[in-house]
Amino acid sequence: MMAQVKTKMSSQTEQVAEAFLFPQGIAGFPDAKRFAFIYEGRGNMVCMQSIDLPEAAFILTPWDEERLGKPPTLGQEQRHCLELNSDEEMVWMVVLNPFADPDWVTANLKAPVALSYTSRRGVQLIRPESEHDLRFHWMPQPK
Amino acid sequence: MMVLRRKAGEAIRIGDDIKIVVQEVQNGRIVRFGIEAPEEVAVHRLEIYELIQAENRAASGADALAWLKGDDHDGTGEDKDE
Repeated sequence: MMAQVKTKMSSQTEQVAEAFLFPQGIAGFPDAKRFAFIYEGRGNMVCMQSIDLPEAAFILTPWDEERLGKPPTLGQEQRHCLELNSDEEMVWMVVLNPFADPDWVTANLKAPVALSYTSRRGVQLIRPESEHDLRFHWMPQPK
Repeated sequence: MMVLRRKAGEAIRIGDDIKIVVQEVQNGRIVRFGIEAPEEVAVHRLEIYELIQAENRAASGADALAWLKGDDHDGTGEDKDE
């Protein structure tokens, strides 16, 4: 099943795989609940583009256990929100920010994204603990 | 802003779906709440939520896909600073 996505970057409508539903939206974009993933051949980074709100588009990359340690644990409410039966059905991603720092692409470790392959649902987990970096230096800016 | 007085064990309801219970008042200073809300309603501490809200806005936008496509490799998307 395909979904159609209109990006703010172009007036063209792109065909993408079936959308993921974020029942709680994304902080700052409460009306953006359905997202599609667009891969542009840049390593393992993808664009998570809102179907509802063209200006809500994020760059995501998988959680790297070697660098970041074990991913967070989901609470019961988030598991319910994802309709999750097993942790094997899900993947953790981090939201990258290529705009905040002229030298570094940063990663928001305070609010990673959990996605369920099976229910095609997602949630952004907001972690209140102070030890998680809001702008972790993920990789140097491409030249 | 509406202001209500409630004691520990008492509750308020917002609409049909959201219930907030005052569970405990510690030392007359710190209040513990219990919150029942539908799954589509995100509940967070205000200061953390506002931090993530600002960061999400700074990280998102039409420039995200452009950057991924390689059109903005210097990472200086306009209007992206907090």
